[in-house]
Amino acid sequence: MKGAAVDQVAAGAPAVRRRLVLTREARLGLGTVVAVVVLWKLVHAAGLFPPWAFPAPEQVVAAFARTLASGELLKNAWASVQRQLVGVALAALVGIPGGLLLGASPTFRAAFLPICRLIYPIPGIAWIPLAILWFGVGFTSTVFVIFFTGIWPILFNTMAGVETLQGQYTEVARVYLAPRLFYVRKVLIPGSLPFIITGVRLTYGVGWRVIVGAEMISSITGLGFMIDDARWQLRPDIMVAGMITIALIGWVMEQWAFDWLERATIERWGMKSTRR
Amino acid sequence: MLTLEGVGKRYAVDGTEIVALAGISVTVAPGEFVCLLGPSGCGKSTLLRIVAGLIPPTTGVVRIDGRPVTGPGPDRAVVFQDYALFPWMTVRDNVEFGLAARGVEPARRRQVAMELLRVVGLADFADKYPHHLSGGMKQRVSIARALAVDPALLLMDEPFGALDAQTRYVMQQELLRIWRSYRKTVLFVTHAIDEALYLGDRVLIMTARPRRLKAELRVTQERPRDIAGAEFGRLRKQALDLLSEEIARSMAEEAQGAVPA
Repeated sequence: MKGAAVDQVAAGAPAVRRRLVLTREARLGLGTVVAVVVLWKLVHAAGLFPPWAFPAPEQVVAAFARTLASGELLKNAWASVQRQLVGVALAALVGIPGGLLLGASPTFRAAFLPICRLIYPIPGIAWIPLAILWFGVGFTSTVFVIFFTGIWPILFNTMAGVETLQGQYTEVARVYLAPRLFYVRKVLIPGSLPFIITGVRLTYGVGWRVIVGAEMISSITGLGFMIDDARWQLRPDIMVAGMITIALIGWVMEQWAFDWLERATIERWGMKSTRR
Repeated sequence: MLTLEGVGKRYAVDGTEIVALAGISVTVAPGEFVCLLGPSGCGKSTLLRIVAGLIPPTTGVVRIDGRPVTGPGPDRAVVFQDYALFPWMTVRDNVEFGLAARGVEPARRRQVAMELLRVVGLADFADKYPHHLSGGMKQRVSIARALAVDPALLLMDEPFGALDAQTRYVMQQELLRIWRSYRKTVLFVTHAIDEALYLGDRVLIMTARPRRLKAELRVTQERPRDIAGAEFGRLRKQALDLLSEEIARSMAEEAQGAVPA
């Protein structure tokens, strides 16, 4: 108990310091972001593009503040996040057990892997027209598209995790006469967790990238809709404000939530993440 | 009583048959400490895995108290060379694993695990995860996990092979202490001559070509054995002669098979 607390402090301390005093890496990264904004401003000032197609940075900030104040931004962001979370949760709910089965059962793999490989190359966007026919415009069809885009990374990663695990841990389970379900709960799932987390992370990433496209076509709310709707009003500042919001939400989830999950599980156990 | 009757193992690799083991017959008495000594690739780990019930023999039969072995059983536990602890479980949960798998209730499990962790001197580490532990400590946990299910037969596959010399020495003494107080039958695989002679009541020497039992040394010297003494030296010389004959032959065969420069 005491050891665990010490570890958390040790792991947390450098991160806190990094946020207060910027490291060389952070200064370089931030410097590039600032340089891009400055370049953007210069291009705008040079008048290379018509103003109705190319907003200035300060106009985007103003649009951001205005849509935030009116509640429009939060309403649409929440609509997108909701669909994203439901879509990813469904993909995980089907993808994790499916991946466990594909990895552990040769029969299941022989039966289902070919059809998975066949459906996998279809881009999520291609499902949109069909989804609209089936579910109409709105929540369900967007979730459907996220699900069909997002299920593959989690399914294939979980399968790979199970295949990697077979071997010694499985032998230990056999030696100690672990029943099948006990083995799945205590060995197979935690042992595959580095792969499963990487799978969910990738699923989250592709889902968030496809949701905007889906919302442009099949929705009347969400950040994708907000961006597409701004086109009709010739408001590129709102478009870019929406794009930046997408980037921020994605960044927070991918960098923070999943990193936290990895620290709380596989890093605590001294296991290696399968990313990079 | 463990008996092996003409146990052999063959694999087919790319259509060629590989003989991993041939005609091994051994009897191990209850409470006996038997070491399997041989060069790498002589099939001693394969033999251990057959006794564990992890792989079936191609020929012959393994019997425990007369009953043929058809798979892993409650009368056997294995200690693996690289510990094979589950990194996602605390030390205590690792020790409890076999009991939990058998549906033993948590309070009883915990009691057994804590008692064994005290025996191996790791009671203070019960809530740690394995990656906080050194190699020697991990192997103690692995031994405690094996003892927890109270097996009659303890199968050890080069358990100290990955440890440094000093830790290894400490662990050997520790193992002898545990063996004495729990009176388990031990089958201990190693490629280290001194380790086999220091630990075993009997040392079975295996050959690589063909993969069979070549000789048996009975070590009657009282424990703790003086590894610098004359009697130990005589046994060591005997074992070394038996093994080097073997190593020389396999090297000669390899040289014949090689294309001359």
